Amino acid sequence: MTATTTHPEAPASPPTHGSILSVRDLRKTYKLGRVKVPVLHGVSLDVAPGESVAILGASGSGKSTLLHLAGGLDRPDKARKGAPRAQITFDGRDIARAGRGELDRYRARDVGFVFQFYHLLPELSVLQNVTVGAMIRYGLGYARSRGESVAHARELLDAFGLGHRLRHRPKELSGGERQRVAIARALINRPRLLLADEPTGNLDAETGAQILDVLADLREKFGLTMLMVTHDANVAQRADRVVRLGDGLIQQD
Amino acid sequence: MYQALLTRKYLTSKLMPLLAMIAVMLSVVTVLVTWSVMGGFLRSLLDSGRVLVGDVAITWPATGFAHYDDLIEMLEDDGLVVASSPVIEAFAMIQLPDDRTEAIYVKGVDPASFDRVTGFIDHLWWKPLDTPTRRDKDAIDWRLLPGNRDDLARIFENGTTMTRPDPDGGPDEPAALLGIEVTDYNQRNSAGVYEPYSPAKAHPDGTIEDQNTFMPRSGRVTLTVLPIAKGGRLTEPVTRSIAIANEFQSGIFEADSKTMLVPLTWLQDMLDMDEGGTVAEGSNLLDLVFDPETGEFVPAPIVTTGAAPARVTTVLVRAQEGVTPDEIKAACERVYREFAGKYPGQVPRPESIQIQTWEDLNATLVGAVKKETGLVLFIFGIVCFTSVFLVLAIFWAMINEKTRDIGVLRALGASTNGVAAIWLSYGFMLGLVGSTLGVIAATLIVVNINPIHEWLGETFGLVVWDPRVYYFVEIPSEIVPFNALIVFAAGILTCLLGAAIPAFRSARMDPVKSLRFE
Repeated sequence: MTATTTHPEAPASPPTHGSILSVRDLRKTYKLGRVKVPVLHGVSLDVAPGESVAILGASGSGKSTLLHLAGGLDRPDKARKGAPRAQITFDGRDIARAGRGELDRYRARDVGFVFQFYHLLPELSVLQNVTVGAMIRYGLGYARSRGESVAHARELLDAFGLGHRLRHRPKELSGGERQRVAIARALINRPRLLLADEPTGNLDAETGAQILDVLADLREKFGLTMLMVTHDANVAQRADRVVRLGDGLIQQD
Repeated sequence: MYQALLTRKYLTSKLMPLLAMIAVMLSVVTVLVTWSVMGGFLRSLLDSGRVLVGDVAITWPATGFAHYDDLIEMLEDDGLVVASSPVIEAFAMIQLPDDRTEAIYVKGVDPASFDRVTGFIDHLWWKPLDTPTRRDKDAIDWRLLPGNRDDLARIFENGTTMTRPDPDGGPDEPAALLGIEVTDYNQRNSAGVYEPYSPAKAHPDGTIEDQNTFMPRSGRVTLTVLPIAKGGRLTEPVTRSIAIANEFQSGIFEADSKTMLVPLTWLQDMLDMDEGGTVAEGSNLLDLVFDPETGEFVPAPIVTTGAAPARVTTVLVRAQEGVTPDEIKAACERVYREFAGKYPGQVPRPESIQIQTWEDLNATLVGAVKKETGLVLFIFGIVCFTSVFLVLAIFWAMINEKTRDIGVLRALGASTNGVAAIWLSYGFMLGLVGSTLGVIAATLIVVNINPIHEWLGETFGLVVWDPRVYYFVEIPSEIVPFNALIVFAAGILTCLLGAAIPAFRSARMDPVKSLRFE
């Protein structure tokens, strides 16, 4: 019989007091067939409430991975022997150790995702694409909150200049309009954290600037905390703080 | 909620799953129509099977049993019994006018009580008709011809009394009823009705003689039976000629091609089962005694020691409406026990007598049809099961196409079960719609199966159910709601099974990989 030994994890360094999102010693390795590809080598980052942080880095630097881990879409690697345990804390809750159901609720209530390629559901209208987030959050209870959710979705879409496009399908919209719908969808459940993955990456400069204006307005209006991934230094300049990621580590903060 | 929204959207925007729905619909139609036709066929058999046997038969084969009049009286006093009738059943040979000899099942019946039990008069074939039968669109039925009317009315009357007038003006003679298919002298046409035709008789010299015989008008057959004495011993064969009064159609080919009804008393006499004296032990029928008056030897007078009552092999019983076969069987067993107690040693013991319901009597035929129905449904079920794989393949492809959407939903907070539920509810809806349309289509087909069949015949010359070949004039069918419910549920289950594996796969998808899916 083989004896098994457990390796106690080193204690994680505590999150900085006052941050809403705190990432500690984050490691992530992907498998490509038999090859292990380490992406993050122990990233630590703190984001204050209402702060806008841009994560700048080249392709493959681990920007999107960091975003996915922070949003509870993925889990960090387990700590190796003697290494500190990875920790993702949102508003005092340890997301890295949360169960599946808790992570689902975290994504539905506290986080809003915006993607480079919008990722709107093609069968749904603009309004339905926005309210689907509320349907997921409330489940069967959506029947009760439907009126309020639809009103909020209309309000958001009106604010983004899409009030006249409610019944249109995504394929009938321009790239900028689609991204604004995606932002409205991310905000339908009034999240505190907005995670944007190259939100202007698929848009021309003028439209991209408009989208950044929209995000800046939102942050100001709702006090949103924002973590934005980009490889464009000009886009990153619009954030309060720029974090440069390279070789799986934060190289400059 | 989002599952319902996406299901609705996918239902109205995707073509491939609609093809799966059509496959499910057609599967439901196939199974339900097959089940309905086979079920209808079975129902027709069961209904027809009662025509010659009533609800219960109390039988002591071969030698028969005595005091049956008393048993009938006791049975008819029972609240569950409407009527009962004495019958003799025996195997016999008949010789037809063209000299063919056929083995036949002969039944001696009392027409009045036999009709009360079986309603056989309604099944007499030769009678005048005012309107054509449903299938006879061109009114080609021979019985509709005005010139045949009086003749057929007389023949029908003969059938009800089982007698035929003597052409020489003498008293009516006992006459038999033949199953409509016994002689082969009646031709069933495309309308499913019979018309008589003249049989030909082949002579040894090679000539063929046209018989010009319509059996109920002037035909006779020669019947040969083998009487069985009271003790069970076979005696010498007895052969007699009997006129034919009419012919009947029960609906079961086996009965209509092998059965002949003759008057009870006539057959009792022939089989030596009628009332007679009991000859004293030691008496010799060949003994001769000297008659002093004539001075010649004459047969010795038979010394009888008592009366041997008449016997029958069967008493048929008809139950009140709504009484189940088991209830009437139990009632007959109860009455027979009482009857046997009244005649100890003279009638079969209650534990020996055969008391069978009409279902028991037709068990072989009904069992075969039931097995056939089961087999056909099993085969069609297997064929329709392929729909599961069709749904699976389509859903698998659809989930591939929707991989990124699944990632988006997970990013919005959808749980793994929630994502799986999209595909399961979509599968359920496809099954629900497909099964509903299938049941509606099957019902319409079953209800109109005969008009559809006729239309196919008239338009494309496609006659599947030819009354000249198949015994039932029309395609029998019946939709049993419970069966429809089973097929309906199976249709939904088919889609759910097909959707289950893709749904499980979608639930296991890594949301990050899904979002990066190209």
